[in-house]
Amino acid sequence: MKKILALLLALVLVFSLCACGQSEAPAEEAPAEEAPAEEAPAEEAPAEEETGKVYNVAYLVNGNLGDKSFFDSAESGLAALEEAGRIEYVTIEMGGTDEDQPTWLSTLYDVSESGEYDVVVCGTYQMPDYLKEVATAYPDQKYLIFDDNTYVGANSNVVNITYKQNDMGYLVGIFAACMTVDTSIDMINEDAVVGFVGGVDSPVINDFLIGFIEGARSVNPDIKIDTRYTNDYVDTAIAKEYGLSMINDNNCDIIWGVAGNAGNGAAEAALETGKAWFIGVDSDQELTLSSDLAAITLTSGLKNIGNSLVWFFDELDAGNEYWGTEVTLGLAEGGVGIVTDKNFDTYASDATKAAVTEAQEKVLSGEIVVPTAIGDNAVDVVAVREEVRP
Amino acid sequence: MSNFVSMLLTPEFFFSILRISAPIIFATLAAIVVEKAGFCNIGIEGLMMFSALSGSLVSYYAGSWFWGLLAALVVGVLMSLIMGFFAFQMKTDIVLVGIAINMMGSGGTLFLCKVITNITEGRAMASTTGLITKDLCIPDITIPLVNKIPFVGQVLSGHNLLTYLAFLLCLLTSIMLYKTSLGLNIRAVGENPNAASSVGVSVLKIKYIAMGFSGLMSGFGGAFMSMAYAQGWSLDMVAGRGFIALAAQAMGNGECLGGMLSSLVFGFAQALGIKFSAIGLDSNLASPIPYAVTIIGLVIFAVSRNRKELKKRSSAALEKKASSQA
Repeated sequence: MKKILALLLALVLVFSLCACGQSEAPAEEAPAEEAPAEEAPAEEAPAEEETGKVYNVAYLVNGNLGDKSFFDSAESGLAALEEAGRIEYVTIEMGGTDEDQPTWLSTLYDVSESGEYDVVVCGTYQMPDYLKEVATAYPDQKYLIFDDNTYVGANSNVVNITYKQNDMGYLVGIFAACMTVDTSIDMINEDAVVGFVGGVDSPVINDFLIGFIEGARSVNPDIKIDTRYTNDYVDTAIAKEYGLSMINDNNCDIIWGVAGNAGNGAAEAALETGKAWFIGVDSDQELTLSSDLAAITLTSGLKNIGNSLVWFFDELDAGNEYWGTEVTLGLAEGGVGIVTDKNFDTYASDATKAAVTEAQEKVLSGEIVVPTAIGDNAVDVVAVREEVRP
Repeated sequence: MSNFVSMLLTPEFFFSILRISAPIIFATLAAIVVEKAGFCNIGIEGLMMFSALSGSLVSYYAGSWFWGLLAALVVGVLMSLIMGFFAFQMKTDIVLVGIAINMMGSGGTLFLCKVITNITEGRAMASTTGLITKDLCIPDITIPLVNKIPFVGQVLSGHNLLTYLAFLLCLLTSIMLYKTSLGLNIRAVGENPNAASSVGVSVLKIKYIAMGFSGLMSGFGGAFMSMAYAQGWSLDMVAGRGFIALAAQAMGNGECLGGMLSSLVFGFAQALGIKFSAIGLDSNLASPIPYAVTIIGLVIFAVSRNRKELKKRSSAALEKKASSQA
């Protein structure tokens, strides 16, 4: 009797788990979506309008929306695509903590098993291992992973989208180097020293850095760049300590924070000392920071995940398929950029604006190839970093 | 190298030690009092996260840091009492309750933040940095006269209100533990609950009080993180300080003064690591310095305690031998 009861309980548990996994997807869909979700060859049902195929997309967030950065950017890109009637999508937030990681794999399996989606979109460095396993198990399902290139080509049904952080860093570097000697602006001292607070000493973060350094050096060969890594993307307080040390010890007057949420600590250090400016990253941080922090944020480097997804579906419609390869998007594809309105417009001199525009054009035309910290042509970051250390 | 030494000899360096230590001191006090009452609260980290979130949100909605601080304290105490309810009355292992609180502190705060502040672009947010301006943070205090003293004034004056309170509370907690009947009861319950209850002390009540005190201190620590140290709450911002505090409690031999000193050691190590990075030490070497110092500190503490114990035992044995021979 006891055994049967236990068995029943176990069954209930298993079924309830299955139910959870399944119900999550359609729950967020529009009611109109439900019909095709139930039919077996779902992808064919709503397609074939005059604009072409309407793709059914699942966007798996291995964290939560609201990071004001990658996840939100991808979400906004997908939302724009949906608005244009080109895709239908569901977003599944899987949570970002260690305890949530098992659900990432199971959600990937669930979504692939359902077969409802033409493309499954996920991203960041934490996903490739899970994705590889699932993509191997479902060779007919197409996957897109942004901002990661761990297993490029391992699965012919996966496309890796990466970004030329170095292109972005180059623009920010040019801008920072122009600004740091413009003493007519409040809080700028005459020392040509700028700062960089990175998350972790890793290739992707260093790709930002190397572009930043080269951009800055192209304006002023003698410029000094103080680089610190917080070794952490969440500890705002420690990032603030690094920022304070950069401002007080090395006279930095502009700091670029590239450390997720923790990067905001550098902005707080700048605000508290009243001796420095901040530059944001990934999304327009002047919009997301509070008013007094936004006031000292000169600009932000942008990684347009959303644009890149739009670009990807443009290419798909144009008949260019990239499955099984890595696509790296830079300035040319709108994958990266720099914010040029608000504080940028207010504080930058005409010469600075011209320098940024010129650099942008030169990178676009291919006249300048920004060195990178990723891949076979990677430069020796440590050596470069040491050269410009104050 | 001389550059490095001159960096260390700035008042700004010593100032930063006190600032870095302050949240750890609060958390250490939280750990000390429950330890005196005979159990270990590993949920301090989670309590701090809840307090950090509620403090920052309430200060935003109320438009004043005072209400935010009060909310942080109330939430800290309430959450710790809930922990106590599960641990003492539902008889759950307190370590498990602590783990649950820590996990909730990470995911739950994010959830709450999303539910409560459904106001900005996107569907939700992972930090309240966008809401909090400087005037919603707990103010810094300039001490008159002291700030005129060269060097010392720059180190001691201008800290956050809560930084001063952290050191003051070390003293007050110590007095509470050793000079009041409540403190005596707490220690008695910790040493031997049966003996305590045999003389009419309500063990349950004392345990709740200790737990509530622990929540109060965690509340201060959380408020410091989101309303003084950083401007606004962000996900996982306590970043292990609640756990460091448990080490500091052990290193300080469970006493307030010792806990304060070991918190300062940790603060010193962290500040030192930051200065090392200023002269170009690899970040992978610089950032573990505080943790390495903590481990080394714990080892030294354990070794010296063992030595003392050995000495005591051997001298006791010698005495015994001597007396038996006599």
